Amino acid sequence: MPSLSIDLPQGTLDLLILRTLSLEPLHGWAVSERIQQISSDVLRVQQGSLYPALHRLERRGWIKARWGTSENNRKAKFYELTKAGRRQLEIERDAWEKLTAAVSQILETA
Amino acid sequence: MLHDLLFRLQTLFRRHAAERELDDELRFHLERQIAKYLKSGMSEREATRRARLEFGGIGQVKQECRDARGISFIETLVQDVRYAGRTLLRSPAFTACAVLTLGLGIGANTAIFSVVNSVLLNPLPYPDPQALLAARENDSRPNLKDIQRQTSSFASSGGVNVAPMDFTGNGEPMRVHAAFVDAGLLQTLGVQPMLGRWISDHEDVKGGPRNVVVSYPFWRDFLGSDLHVLGKAIRLSGNSYTVIGVMPSDFSLPKELADVFVSMWVAYPGEAPDRDVHSMHTYWRLKPGVTLTQAQAEIAQVDRRLSEQFPDTEKERGTILIPLHDWLVGNIRPALLILFGAVGLVLLIACANFAMLLMARAVARQRELMIRASLGARNSRLIRQRLTESTLLALVGGAVGLLVAKLGTMFLLALKPAALHRFHAIPIDARVFAFVFAISLLTGLLFGLLPAWSASRSDIAEALRANQRATGIEVSRSLLRSTLITAEVAVALILLAGAGLLIKGFLRLRSVNPGFNPANVITMYLQLPATGYSQFQLQTNFRRELLARINALPGVEAAMITDIPLSGNYVGHRVVIDGRPTPAVGTEPEVQVLSVMGDYFRVMQIPIRAGRDFLPTDREGQPLVAVVNEAFVRQHLPGQNPIGSRLDWIRTPEPHQWMTIVGVVADVKYSGLNQPVDPVVYSPFSQNDEAWRRWMTLVIKTRSPMAGLVEDVKKQVWNMDSQIPLSAIQSMDDLMAVSVAQERFNMLLLGIFSGLAVVLAGVGIYGMMAYRVNQRTHEIGVYLALGAQHRDVLRLVMKDGAKLALLGIALGLAGAIAFTRVMVSLLFEVEPTDPPTLIGVALLLAAVALLACYIPARRALSIHPMTALRCE
Repeated sequence: MPSLSIDLPQGTLDLLILRTLSLEPLHGWAVSERIQQISSDVLRVQQGSLYPALHRLERRGWIKARWGTSENNRKAKFYELTKAGRRQLEIERDAWEKLTAAVSQILETA
Repeated sequence: MLHDLLFRLQTLFRRHAAERELDDELRFHLERQIAKYLKSGMSEREATRRARLEFGGIGQVKQECRDARGISFIETLVQDVRYAGRTLLRSPAFTACAVLTLGLGIGANTAIFSVVNSVLLNPLPYPDPQALLAARENDSRPNLKDIQRQTSSFASSGGVNVAPMDFTGNGEPMRVHAAFVDAGLLQTLGVQPMLGRWISDHEDVKGGPRNVVVSYPFWRDFLGSDLHVLGKAIRLSGNSYTVIGVMPSDFSLPKELADVFVSMWVAYPGEAPDRDVHSMHTYWRLKPGVTLTQAQAEIAQVDRRLSEQFPDTEKERGTILIPLHDWLVGNIRPALLILFGAVGLVLLIACANFAMLLMARAVARQRELMIRASLGARNSRLIRQRLTESTLLALVGGAVGLLVAKLGTMFLLALKPAALHRFHAIPIDARVFAFVFAISLLTGLLFGLLPAWSASRSDIAEALRANQRATGIEVSRSLLRSTLITAEVAVALILLAGAGLLIKGFLRLRSVNPGFNPANVITMYLQLPATGYSQFQLQTNFRRELLARINALPGVEAAMITDIPLSGNYVGHRVVIDGRPTPAVGTEPEVQVLSVMGDYFRVMQIPIRAGRDFLPTDREGQPLVAVVNEAFVRQHLPGQNPIGSRLDWIRTPEPHQWMTIVGVVADVKYSGLNQPVDPVVYSPFSQNDEAWRRWMTLVIKTRSPMAGLVEDVKKQVWNMDSQIPLSAIQSMDDLMAVSVAQERFNMLLLGIFSGLAVVLAGVGIYGMMAYRVNQRTHEIGVYLALGAQHRDVLRLVMKDGAKLALLGIALGLAGAIAFTRVMVSLLFEVEPTDPPTLIGVALLLAAVALLACYIPARRALSIHPMTALRCE
C-alpha cells in the first residue's frame, strides 16, 4: 500500500481539505480517510500536517469548527465549510485547473 | 483581517481551553487510527506503534497547530519577558545601572515635560479658547467702551483691573484682591457663576447697585460655603455690597488672582470715566469666522479715531491683539523649550550609556548566545529576545522615571519660578503617562536594537572558531562605541556651555547693585479705606501718627513710601521742567513718582549724591520740594546743577505749583535687577496732594532680626484704626530673591541637567576604558613583561579614550557656538559665545574625561605580566 501512494504536492492540501468538507462536515480523521478513499489510496495525507492545516484554515475563516458526536458515539471536533471557504474553494479549484492544464500541455508538446 | 485578529485574541484569552481541545482532537484522531488498524487484524501493540509512527512527533504537531492558530507571537513574548526577567535578576548590578541611568534620564524629561504640559500644552480653562484674545497694552474703561461700540469683529469683550480692597467684619480686617471689571468680562471668558448671576450691563453704570460676585475660595473660607448667601451683604473698603453670585471652584481669571468681582463704575465712580488711566487688562472673544487680522484691522481704525479725538492723552495708545494663550505664556515659552531641549540631550546621553551597557553585557554573554545559536536558535529570535530584555529594562527605567519626575516637579514648584506661579501642583496626567511610555518604549527598542544588531550580524560559527578578540563583531562594536562616546562628550559640552552661560549671567545679575541695602528691612503694605480717609489731610495725619508710633518701638527705624523697589507697582506722571521750552502736549517726559515720609533714604541706605535729604520741615504749607535720582539728572538736566531746578507734573489748568529739587539720590533698581532705571521724582507724602493714592508701604529697619516686630506693628496700626488690613509682609531680602527666581530656576535646572550629563558621560568613558583595559590584559602583560615603563602603559591605554574625549570636546564646542544663540533671551549681560565660559567648560569636561580614563588605566598598571600571559 505505501509503495502505491504519493506525497501531496506543496499547497494542495488546503484545496483537498476544502473540497472534502464541501460535501459534509467531517472531523480530522475522517478528512484524511476520505481523501485517501476517494483518491483510491493514491494520495496519502501526512497526518502531522493535516491538523496545522485545519487550524490555519479555521483562522482564515474558511472553515469553522464545532464539537459534535462521532459515528462511534465519541466527542469529536467537526469542521465545516463557511461561505468564505466556498468562495476560496472555487478560487483554488480554478487555479489548480489552470495549473494542471498548463503543465500537461507542456508535457504533451515539449 | 478583523476575523484574524478576533480569532487570535479569542485564542489568547481561552488559551487553556484551546490547549485542552487540541489535546482532545489529536487523541481522538489517534484512537480512530488505532481502532482502524485493530480492525484490520493487527495486535494492539502493533496498531498503537503504527498509528504513533504515522502521526509523527505529537509535541511538534501541537506546536505547529499553535503556530497556525497564531498564538505564538504572544506566547513568545511572554516567554521572552520571563526569560529576560530571570536573566536580569541574575545580574543585579547591571540591571540597577541600566535602570538608574534610564530612570534619571527619563525622570528628568518627564518632570520638564509635565511642566511644559501644564503650562504650554494644556488649553485655557475656557470654552472655545482659541477665539480668545488679549490686548498687549492695558487700556481705560472709556476706550474699551468706545471700541466695543464701534467694532463688529468681537462676540464680546471685557476688562479687569485687580486692586486691593479691605474686607472687614470677620475678625482681623483683611486685604483681598478685588477685580474691578466691566460687565462683558465673564461672557467673553464664556463662564457662568456657580450660584446666582454675574453683574449685568444695566448695573455696570455710574450709580449702579453695589453688587459683588465672590470667588469660590472666598465663599468657602469667609462666607462658610453658605448656599443661601445670595442677597446677603459684606463690607468691602467701608461700603456694603450685596452678594449676587459665586464663581465655580475651577474658575480663575486668565492672569489675575481675584477674591471678589465688582463693577469698576460702581466701586470707582470717580476714576472709571478717566480715559487716560490705562489700568485694565482687556480680553476679547472673536466672532466665529472672523480672523485675528480682520479684528486687528477693524480695531486699528477705532484707535485712529480715538487718537484724533483725544490727542492730549490717547495719541500714543494703540491696541495690539494677540491670542490669549500667547499673551499668558509668551514670556516663559523660550525658557521652557530650551530646558526641554536640554533635558532631551541628557536623555540621549543616558541612552548612549544604556546602549553601551547592553553591548558590554552582550560581550559577557557571547558564549551563551553562541551556544544557543549553534543549538539552532534563529538569529531573528535571538535579536528579539534581547530587544525584549532592553525594552523591559527601559520600561522599568520609565517607572523609576515617573517616581523621579514626581519628586522633580515638587522640587521645581519649590523653586517658585515666575513661570509656575499659577500652579499649586503639577499633575502627572494621561498625556505625561503616554509620554513616559512612548519614550521608554522607543529607548528600549532603538537603543536595544543598536547593540543587538551589531552583535548578531556576523557569522556566529565563525565567531565560535575565531579568536574572540579580532572578530568582525569587535571591530564594528568598537566603532559604534567610539561614536557613542564622542557624541556623549559633545552633547555634554553643549549642555555644560549653556549652564555655564546661565550661571555667569545669574552671577552678574546677583552682583548688580540694587541701589539700596536690603539687610534687616521688613516691608508691609497697607491701604486706607476710602470712607473716613477721603480727605488728604486725614491721610497725612494717619501716616504721621503711625510712623511716630512705630519709630517709638525700641530698636527700629521706620519710614514709608508709596511703592517699594521690586514690588511690581509703578505710578508714572508726565513732568515739565521750569525754564525749558514746553514740549508738545502728550510728549512730555514721563517719570516714576514716589511719595515718601520719614527717613526713607537712610532706612534703605540709598546714598545722597548731592543736596540734602527731606527734612521734617518739608511738610504741608511749606515750599514744595522734590528729590530726584541720578537717572533723572542724566536724562533731563544734563550738565546742569540740578539743585534748585524746579519741576511740576503737567497740569491743566495751570498755573504750575513748582517743586524745587533739593537733593539727588543714587539710582535704585525699581523694576528688577535686569531692568533699566527710570528717572524718578520723590516728593514728601504730605506735600503730594493726591488723595487717590491711599496706599503706602512701611519700610522698617531693625538692628537685628526681630521676632515680634510684625505683631507690634499690627497692634499699632489697629490701635489707630481696626479696619485697616496689613498685607505683603516680607523682608527686602525675600523680595530680592523672588525678583530673580525665574533666572535662578533656569540656571539651577540647566546646571543640574549639565551636571547629570557630565556624570553620565564620565561614567560612559569610564565604562568603555575599563572594558578596553580588560580586553587588552594580555597585550599589556606582554608589554610589561618586555620591560615597558608604567608611563608607556598609561600612555598606551589612555591614548584611545583621550582621543575620543578631545574629539567630542571639539565637536561640542562647535555645537555650543551654534546652539547657545537660542539662549540669548535668557542671558543677562553675557554673550552666548562668551569665550571664558566656553574655554572653562571645555577644560572642566576634559578634566572629567581624563579622570574617567585614568582610573581604569591605573588598573592596567597593576596587571601582573604572568597572570596576563596565563589567561591566554
